[in-house]
Amino acid sequence: MKKIPVLVLVLLFAASLGLPLFAGGAQEAVGEEEELTFAFVPGIADPFYFTMERGIRQKADELGVNLIVSEYPKSWGPEAQVPILEATAARGGIDLIMIAPTSVDALIAPLKKLHEQGIEIITVDTFLGDGDYSKDTEYSFPLAYIGTDNHLGGVRVAEHLAEMLGEKGKLYINTTNPDVSSVSARVAGFKEGITNFPNMEVIGVDYNLDVQQKAMEQTLSALQKNPDIVGVFGTNVFSAQGVYQAVVNAGLTGAVKIASWDATETLINALKEGQVDLVLAQKPAEIGSMAVDWGYKFFTENADVPNKVIPGFEFFTKENVNDPDMQKFIYKK
Amino acid sequence: MKNRKKSLAEFFADRWALFFLVAEIVFFAIVSRGFLTPRGIQIIFFFGTSVFLLSVGETFVIITGGIDLSVGFVMGFASIVAAKLIVVFTESGMAPAAAILVGMVLTFIISLLPGLINGSLVAFLKVPPFIATFSMIGISHGVSELLIEGVPAKNLPHLANVIGNGHLFYYARGKGMSIFSRPELERGEHVLELLPNIVIITFILIAVFSFILKRTRYGQHTYAIGGNVDAALRSGINVKRHLVTVYMVSSFFAGAAGVIYMLQYVTGKADAGAALLLDGIAAVVIGGASLYGGKGTIWRTILGALIIATLETGLRIRGVPTFDKYILVGVILIGAVLVDQIIPERVEEE
Repeated sequence: MKKIPVLVLVLLFAASLGLPLFAGGAQEAVGEEEELTFAFVPGIADPFYFTMERGIRQKADELGVNLIVSEYPKSWGPEAQVPILEATAARGGIDLIMIAPTSVDALIAPLKKLHEQGIEIITVDTFLGDGDYSKDTEYSFPLAYIGTDNHLGGVRVAEHLAEMLGEKGKLYINTTNPDVSSVSARVAGFKEGITNFPNMEVIGVDYNLDVQQKAMEQTLSALQKNPDIVGVFGTNVFSAQGVYQAVVNAGLTGAVKIASWDATETLINALKEGQVDLVLAQKPAEIGSMAVDWGYKFFTENADVPNKVIPGFEFFTKENVNDPDMQKFIYKK
Repeated sequence: MKNRKKSLAEFFADRWALFFLVAEIVFFAIVSRGFLTPRGIQIIFFFGTSVFLLSVGETFVIITGGIDLSVGFVMGFASIVAAKLIVVFTESGMAPAAAILVGMVLTFIISLLPGLINGSLVAFLKVPPFIATFSMIGISHGVSELLIEGVPAKNLPHLANVIGNGHLFYYARGKGMSIFSRPELERGEHVLELLPNIVIITFILIAVFSFILKRTRYGQHTYAIGGNVDAALRSGINVKRHLVTVYMVSSFFAGAAGVIYMLQYVTGKADAGAALLLDGIAAVVIGGASLYGGKGTIWRTILGALIIATLETGLRIRGVPTFDKYILVGVILIGAVLVDQIIPERVEEE
């Protein structure tokens, strides 16, 4: 009786030995089909990636590419994303994976394995290593990185915020993770941008690990410790929303200017109500659409895909938030 | 006639977990394309390692009639300790392989500490296991956050990622078998990867402790304490000392899960195992262990863990959001307790 579980284990292992011929055959059969299949593995369930999926879907429909969208990870991190990636790839028959890696190093080995099986990789929004796929490194295998120039975005946010604050005062940054390429570059760019203003200073950075509640608590305590903070930069959806809740709760609306990143409907409404002062809008739909487009050109025309594709960004302020031309940059599913 | 009916009901009640697992596999084999393939099966084991480890450690504690709620956060604590140590060793000029090995061994030792505290509280100070280990959640979480100052530990050598995602055997047509290292291949050439390193480490640990529980005096004493503490005391077992070591076994396994997390994801995070507490305890109970103690085996716990891991993988390959998993695990857990409590009783009454 006790032997039965052991028997099942042995059978499972045996099955994993015996089935490869079977699986190999199935994969080849799929490969013979003319149709391309692309898969999208987002970073986390948030409006940014929902919007990206919309762009991907539109382009895939237009080009007649089969699309698999994986489950959206519930939290930000490789332990949530890698199992989803592997399970999605296990379906077989995938030609290209578009993924927003949730860690610059942890995703290298799992993606490299898929690449060696013949699947092409495009990283969207975030990248592996330092994002330079033109040098020969262990992470240079993806076809391309397609995403916002986060560093430049950070510099521009700093300039805009400095202008709003009369180029003086103390600033605080609330961001997500230190090992995520996109937000790290925003922080670095912002700090660099501020160095151009001698009367301004960044007094601290906190990491909320993509948890809005944590962002709020951290910002509240930063505001308490340093009552002379005049401006805060929240580097993504969760950070910015947490920051703005904290500033509202502390009764400092208007007294502390908030620069935020990502044009979610929540943040745009906050901007309209004067709770937030500046919103940088990335172009997630465009990023997604470009990824499908370059992937398609690579397979059908053997096109030379650039290592880095950088779509621009837009700024929402109180002045232009109702502008009809700007509405298309708001993130929507 | 009555006897046969009784034995048939008992037969199924006893093996329902196994039948459930088989049914699950058959179901997903039909509905999820790519599930019943070497890849699919490997994914079950590869991403199930943490649940296997946490639940095996938990089995020891549950057999004594206790519970260890702290395993998830001890796992996070261990992932951070391992990551920090390895980074320090590498920076001090040690070769990556040596740094990883020494860091792992030290982490295994350090991870005994939460168990020592838990066990001492339970055994000597008569703190209920629920409270002692519940407090340890907070302590290990807090210490973890202090160690990393709110930022996940990182900058581990790439070798850790290679080990964590590597396999023992690789087989490619025409290249033969190679051990540990992937053969040089053209892209797209089919290579068969067998036995992920972390699955091997996991099952070696499990086999050793399964032997200890089943075949040694240590194991007998564990069951004896869970069955009847007074009887165990009268028969001369040092119950207090034994309980302390049982909690250390549990936190050792949590430590092992943390080390494996670090290898897989080259990072150490305070909440690495936060979501795994339910799975860890559910696997033990689904495997038929009694929360009142005295009952349970490692292999049945593995069966419980496999039910959970198969469910998760099957849903993922199918593309169903795994929120559903939590609901299903909860339902299966209740079902497990009901089957174990109601059916044998009714059989006895007949």
